[in-house]
Amino acid sequence: MNNLVRGQSFGAVIGVALMLVVFSLIDFSGWWRSSTLSNVVHFTAILGLVAMGQALVIMTKEIDLSVGSVYGLTGVAFITLEPKLGVPGSVLAALAIAATVGLLQGLLVVKGKLPSMIVTLGGLFTARGLIYVWTGGTVQNFSEAARGNWFTRLLGGEWFGVEAAIFWMIGLCIALNVMLWGTRFGNQLLATGGSFDSAESRGVRTGRVKVVTFMLCSLLAGFAGILTLADKPQSHVTLGELMELEAIAAAVIGGCLLSGGRGSLVGAVLGAFIITSFRYELIALGAPSSWFITFVGVVLIVAVIFNQNLARRAGHSV
Amino acid sequence: MMLKSRILAATALVAMALPGLSIAQDGEKLRFVVVSHIGSNDPNMNWLTMAMDEFEKKYPDVDAEYISTNNYSVQEHVRLLEQAIATRPDGIAVPIVSPDAFEGPLRRAIESGIPVVAFNIPDGRPTEDRIPYLTYVGGDEFLTGKRLGEYALEQVEAGAIPAPTGVVCASHDSAHEGLKQRCAGMREVMEGAGAKFEELFIGAEPATARNTLQSFLSANTDTNYIFTVAGWSSPWAWGVANDMGLKPDVDNEGITVLTVDEGPVSIEGVRNNHILATNSQGFWLQGYAPLEWLYWNTKFGYAPQQDILTGPIVINKDNAENWAELVRNVFGEEAYNQQNTW
Repeated sequence: MNNLVRGQSFGAVIGVALMLVVFSLIDFSGWWRSSTLSNVVHFTAILGLVAMGQALVIMTKEIDLSVGSVYGLTGVAFITLEPKLGVPGSVLAALAIAATVGLLQGLLVVKGKLPSMIVTLGGLFTARGLIYVWTGGTVQNFSEAARGNWFTRLLGGEWFGVEAAIFWMIGLCIALNVMLWGTRFGNQLLATGGSFDSAESRGVRTGRVKVVTFMLCSLLAGFAGILTLADKPQSHVTLGELMELEAIAAAVIGGCLLSGGRGSLVGAVLGAFIITSFRYELIALGAPSSWFITFVGVVLIVAVIFNQNLARRAGHSV
Repeated sequence: MMLKSRILAATALVAMALPGLSIAQDGEKLRFVVVSHIGSNDPNMNWLTMAMDEFEKKYPDVDAEYISTNNYSVQEHVRLLEQAIATRPDGIAVPIVSPDAFEGPLRRAIESGIPVVAFNIPDGRPTEDRIPYLTYVGGDEFLTGKRLGEYALEQVEAGAIPAPTGVVCASHDSAHEGLKQRCAGMREVMEGAGAKFEELFIGAEPATARNTLQSFLSANTDTNYIFTVAGWSSPWAWGVANDMGLKPDVDNEGITVLTVDEGPVSIEGVRNNHILATNSQGFWLQGYAPLEWLYWNTKFGYAPQQDILTGPIVINKDNAENWAELVRNVFGEEAYNQQNTW
């Protein structure tokens, strides 16, 4: 119990529990319907993947504002390159593009000694601009053969009646947690964000850690874009717009501190779950859907205060 | 008599040649700027830019520029408008997306002698209050929603689709006056028929829009009509309803989807029986006619005495084939097929 309370995702766990109690009290029959949960969990899986990447970057004391545009660019690449490369080829090429964006941004931050907020803000505009240029502003579609391709179904179909994206998110969450908490690289990542000077003095190649983390973040955002379009293969230039803000909010609600070195991937997914659930329930209760942004803002501020208090109690300086 | 005729003919020739002569002497072309909210993410931009190309061919003494924003922000649109005014063009065509936001810059432009034609979206306020532009060229957004709603009720009478019980107007921009008017037109008809009506802001990001609409349909089970106020979001609405098992194809059960625009997505939606009807508001004319009026006003002082409505026309299963042929000719076969996201 003590470990749970001291855990980075404790705030998000409390948030989810509170939310479920309140939603059950005010809209039990609506909230606990299978169609509701399926809708919420499916979108949580997509946002959760992007939020996990964001959480990793925040743990290194950086931020990535480009994830929404990278999500869109990778999705557009997946659809546009398919006629030439086939489905598996276009997935690989699209992911390579995502990784390249992450690599370039990471190098600019580390080698150029530039603030990640500025570099990735540039990345946000550049990637979005590339989407406009590449598509000519028009929507794009998958052929019937590509829609029915086994690999497309593996990414965007259903497994045992459940959306494939949910399994992908769970699998990647487990793998990334193992990486973060069970490997040398994960330890170096946390050390880089937690105490940069100390990590450097112990021989951690902090620059390389940050570059790899930026690449991981872009890859996760890109993969989420591919999963979305494999499920509904219609690209649009607005794909992923403002998703970076929801991803950052999810990571912060999930326990990531912008001061670095502390965070939780499970918490980021729970943060995504809270954001998606709020959107659903506000609409279900008849509130104008534009109120959602206001609620995210309020929840975000409450979460930051709560998580900082938790961190202080656990003896971290924030 | 002969001499008189010759003098008249010579005078007419001189009169016709004078404007061209003055331009030739100035060595400068007229420059008209279209400051649009229809960005390169909207296939309808093709209609406007193609019409402008035709205008430039007919009037080689004019440069027509198209400036747009892709992110549906009124503030960004106003910024582009102010930038355009600062370049002192000879005329401006602009949709009045937000009368309040556009009033200041446009009044200043008009007072400084730049003629303005509103296109696509008018200033919806009473004539005495509205921005004093030359004229409005475009569809009537309220009529767009109203005519489509009326067509739907005709189909209900004919037994082709279920009577409306709940109608949701799915909008991607909560600040867009034209979209609000489309919803308002549909609201008038549907509430008149006894149906519940809701306006839902779904945003323009596909996954978020689907998530929002699915949430709404789950919570409002009496909704059986979806009106998407952009053609490109109609497959999202149909897809959500289909995934939820709500039978969104056009028949006498389940959900009925209506949309707008004469783009490939809307027309193919009608042809494939996914969409009951869409509309045309004469986009090509909206690109061409404002420039022509600006030209005639600048050269000869012409000013239309009333607004020029270019639509709406309902596109349904009876005329969708003809529209598909027309739009294929405008967009080209490859682009048409590529943009058909059904």
